[in-house]
Amino acid sequence: MSFFTRGFEGRRRDEAPEGRVPPGQYLTEGFPVLSAGPTPRTPLEQWTFTVESGAEPVRWTWDEFQALPRESVTVDIHCVTRWSKLDTVWEGVSVDTLLEAVDHDASYVLAFCDGGYTTNLPLEDVTDGKAWVAFGYDGEALDPEHGGPARLLVPHLYFWKSAKWVRGLRLLDDDEPGFWESNGYHLRGDPWREQRYWGD
Amino acid sequence: MAGTAVLGRLTTGWQVAEVVDVVKETPRVCTLALSADGWPGHGAGQHLDVRLTAPDGYQAQRSYSIASPPGEPPAITVERLEDGEVSPYLAGELRAGDRIEIRGPIGGWFVWEPALGGPLLLVGGGSGVVPLMAMARLRAAEGSDVPARLLLSSRSWEDVIYRDELAALADAPAGLEVVHTLTRSQPEGWSGYARRVDESLLREVAWPAEAGAQAFVCGPTAFVETVASGLVTLGYPPERVKTERFGATG
Amino acid sequence: MTARTEELRLDGNALGGALLALLGPEGTATVGTCGSCGARGELALLVVYVRCPGIVGRCPACDEVLVRVVEGPDRTWVTLAGLRTLELPRA
Repeated sequence: MSFFTRGFEGRRRDEAPEGRVPPGQYLTEGFPVLSAGPTPRTPLEQWTFTVESGAEPVRWTWDEFQALPRESVTVDIHCVTRWSKLDTVWEGVSVDTLLEAVDHDASYVLAFCDGGYTTNLPLEDVTDGKAWVAFGYDGEALDPEHGGPARLLVPHLYFWKSAKWVRGLRLLDDDEPGFWESNGYHLRGDPWREQRYWGD
Repeated sequence: MAGTAVLGRLTTGWQVAEVVDVVKETPRVCTLALSADGWPGHGAGQHLDVRLTAPDGYQAQRSYSIASPPGEPPAITVERLEDGEVSPYLAGELRAGDRIEIRGPIGGWFVWEPALGGPLLLVGGGSGVVPLMAMARLRAAEGSDVPARLLLSSRSWEDVIYRDELAALADAPAGLEVVHTLTRSQPEGWSGYARRVDESLLREVAWPAEAGAQAFVCGPTAFVETVASGLVTLGYPPERVKTERFGATG
Repeated sequence: MTARTEELRLDGNALGGALLALLGPEGTATVGTCGSCGARGELALLVVYVRCPGIVGRCPACDEVLVRVVEGPDRTWVTLAGLRTLELPRA
């Protein structure tokens, strides 16, 4: 591909602090809303979060979930559509906390969500303090357009892995490609290695 | 050499087009007249995709309706959106002689030709007028007397795209009927509509349901859905209301 | 600055370019049948979400995902699993 458009730069990518923005990304001050479908509206009285592991599923109601130990984290996020946002502040329950409630020897997880979206991750990408189920953003309850009541937050991978409207994790022995991973997007999605598509 | 160029277009869809002319339509809108080798011709209502490539290989892609009527080379009309990534470049930086990549023509459903008859109701919101203008230009070029009416919603008189040409089309015998509504500001002495299109405005302007009109509605999603459901409420069968929604991101 | 989700919702006309190689220039006139609810209509009528990060086309009647498209650097991935049948009008 050798055709370049004279004078076109795209969004400015030269203001990024050293080492904070992965290759091919640009900084945004805003918080773009990207969605593959209508915003689900599950009432909190009906909301549950489930960890499925082959044995009896473990399930929390909203109130039970809110009673779990929570953390506030400040992380950078990177979307495969090229925008990155630094120092975003979230509140949620660590996935480590949720996985402590089950006995398993799984190697992979599949996150499933209201609206049918799924995304797959190796277990090591959601453990040891790398992932949360987040219900607060920037000091307030997470907006439905951004995935509220709760979304998965896995900031070290491209943000399509941070599944909005998450309702549970299914623990698996084998990797099972999710909604986008089965249609061209990379199975793992490490932004620092620019793993955007199959074969990257 | 020409054969290779055509083959390239067919296998990838993308081809290089040269900007022949840049015409300012309003303070925020311009028309880019393009020249594309082997352009197969297009229908009124079709669009094309534009792809821009930055020196580091980054690419951005957007869709634009074709403003020129069938038989003429493709021309697109672009509104520069404040926070846009592509539109400020196309409607701000691009000059005659520059080259961009395009893909098209695209679209087999939101198209009109005089043989399809009418009456024809065209309802546009802002830059949604672009594909409707291709239809109006085709109608005029073929000397068609299919009854046709355009309802165009714009922010202000200065923002009306193709304003003078629309007036000329309206003045012609069996000309297009043009009704404007200006939603944010109106010139002194304005006696026309001065609000967003709603059901009561449609009731006054649209062909009555019994006329059996074919409607084409184009613009931002919220505009299109308000108008389309308004027409259906007036009795238009849903299959006689064709819609094309524009995104808000530029 | 957040774009409202409503403004991100387009229609099947927005699928035409991505599916150009598969269905041709008039591809949006292709008629599809939803594998989930049986609704039938032109692909131009699909409810389409773009850049999410790919393109998703949903059934206007039941919202099921019918079409998924991702345009990569050198290929396009398409899943039509939600569609039961395609009808391609002949001139």
